[in-house]
Amino acid sequence: MQSIKLILLLSICCLLTACKKETKIITQPVVDNYVYNINPEDIYQSNVEKTKEKTSEQYISILYTDLFQTTIPQTSLQNLAEVRQAIGDKQMVDELIINNFINGQSIDIPTNAEMRTDIENFIKTTYIRFFLREPNAYEIFELKKAIEEDDGLTPELIYQSFTLSNEYKFY
Amino acid sequence: MKRRKFIKNTVLTAASSIATPYILPAGRLFAPTGTRIANHVVFVLFAGGIRNQESVDQQYIANQGMNTEGNLMNNMLEGAAPTSNILYDQWAPIVDQPLSKQGTLYKEVLYKNGPTGHYNGHTVSMTGAYTETGLNLNINPASPTIFEYYRKHSDPAQSAINAWWLSEGLGPYPSLNYSRHPAYGPAYGANYLRPLSIFNEAGFSQLGNAVNYQTDDVQRILKVKKILDNNFLQSANDLPGIKNSDENREMIKSFILQKMADAANGTMEVASPNNDYGLLTSDLVNISVAWHVLDNFAPELTVINTTNLDVCHDNFSLYLNFLHKADYGIGWLWNKIQSHPVLANDTIMICIPEHGRNLETNNLTDGNGFGAYDHTGDANSRKVFSLIVGPPDKVKQDQQFTTMNPQPECIDIAPTIAHILGFHDLIPGGMLNGRVLEEAFL
Repeated sequence: MQSIKLILLLSICCLLTACKKETKIITQPVVDNYVYNINPEDIYQSNVEKTKEKTSEQYISILYTDLFQTTIPQTSLQNLAEVRQAIGDKQMVDELIINNFINGQSIDIPTNAEMRTDIENFIKTTYIRFFLREPNAYEIFELKKAIEEDDGLTPELIYQSFTLSNEYKFY
Repeated sequence: MKRRKFIKNTVLTAASSIATPYILPAGRLFAPTGTRIANHVVFVLFAGGIRNQESVDQQYIANQGMNTEGNLMNNMLEGAAPTSNILYDQWAPIVDQPLSKQGTLYKEVLYKNGPTGHYNGHTVSMTGAYTETGLNLNINPASPTIFEYYRKHSDPAQSAINAWWLSEGLGPYPSLNYSRHPAYGPAYGANYLRPLSIFNEAGFSQLGNAVNYQTDDVQRILKVKKILDNNFLQSANDLPGIKNSDENREMIKSFILQKMADAANGTMEVASPNNDYGLLTSDLVNISVAWHVLDNFAPELTVINTTNLDVCHDNFSLYLNFLHKADYGIGWLWNKIQSHPVLANDTIMICIPEHGRNLETNNLTDGNGFGAYDHTGDANSRKVFSLIVGPPDKVKQDQQFTTMNPQPECIDIAPTIAHILGFHDLIPGGMLNGRVLEEAFL
């Protein structure tokens, strides 16, 4: 009886000491977190950090959030899913959806005149809004040149270019 | 020395490729341009599960214990409408003479193998191959669709704007515009559209503010996108599915937005008496938008379906109603085609249900006390009809087959379409096992 108790005690001790779960505390910001606005103050230092491609669902819901500054309502999400399924060319339907969002009434978008009053500021805020990073000097130069050379290049069109770009499809 | 050897090898390779003609699977040395019967095919999957009894046999409610027969499909078929016990809204025929008089009617076509499910039935007709897949999974079929055969084997190759698939419903149907076959797939797929999702709340709420951009603005968007893409090393993977060229994509976007605007202001032509939007069924919405696709793009291959008739699982009376209305839609569509400068006299339309329905009723009855019918694979649900309509110099007129040997099968439609569009002989041997319904053509 004594030996059985001893064996049981030894077994319990073994179980308690054999495995120890390691807990790793992450102190650095996680990219996924600031993409989903969990830590909205964090921005990318460079676009090189963006290595994961968004899924279609992520793309649409993040697009909505970036444009309307609020999360997408469930009804809209369902309708968008239906519309996306109803058109075979997905590039086409995405372009139509973005077009619809940007030309809707409730989106906060500067006027063409406001953009042209301070083009550099517009470029910086647009990069942060969609790419979650500051533009570098060359990027500012290029886009500023394009805007200055073409009066017909409006913020609506630029917003669509950003949301259709390759970088916007990554996080 | 190495350079000289490279040149020598290149010359030898080039010479041998010139000396050895490419032997096509069909045994021909060179690809012919293909003799076409017509340049346009409209394939209507007159679907939802239709019994021959109520369609070509014109028995109306005779199988429900009522002694009344008659023709519900007075646009597609010849025959007098019922004169008593009228359970449906009778719409006057829209065609001058029934379509069966303008083509060849096969009164018995066999759905030989596989489950009689809607998705299976569609797959069989659109691929020309029977399938055992019993579930309505959102997965592209294993065998190539007729769109892929058309786009891959037509000479010159055809773009997606020339091939369209419009379905009444969603579910698995969007998956039928291309297959999983490794030699075919989305590069040869069709444009897909489900009009009911675009021309309703979902579409208007999510696309209703979209603007039809001028070419200059499209170029501006693309120019800035290019600047942005040049500063990012990665490229997004291609989205799944078919892709149109930039030019065609813009044309289709403009078309969709224009038709949405027309629908919103009541100027879109639709397949109902007096253009009454209130009379439209979802089948008729699909047929109406299919016409606008035909009108705008004059595609060479268009496939559409109807599915409202599946209400027959629990409402036989409504099934009769939908059958009558779908028939009206087909008559309307054919009239429209004959009014089109490109499509008229150069279009062949083929109609076939995806499968039939059972001989015996299930346990459900509708408000009139009529029994309902499922489609569980009995002999009756494997029996359908087919109608091939076309100009008198291309399709034999007023021809009717009741029994034939060999009996026509659902898998014969795909090779028949390939035959009409002149690429049947270019399809590798063994891919399509049905026969061309040659007796329908002059």
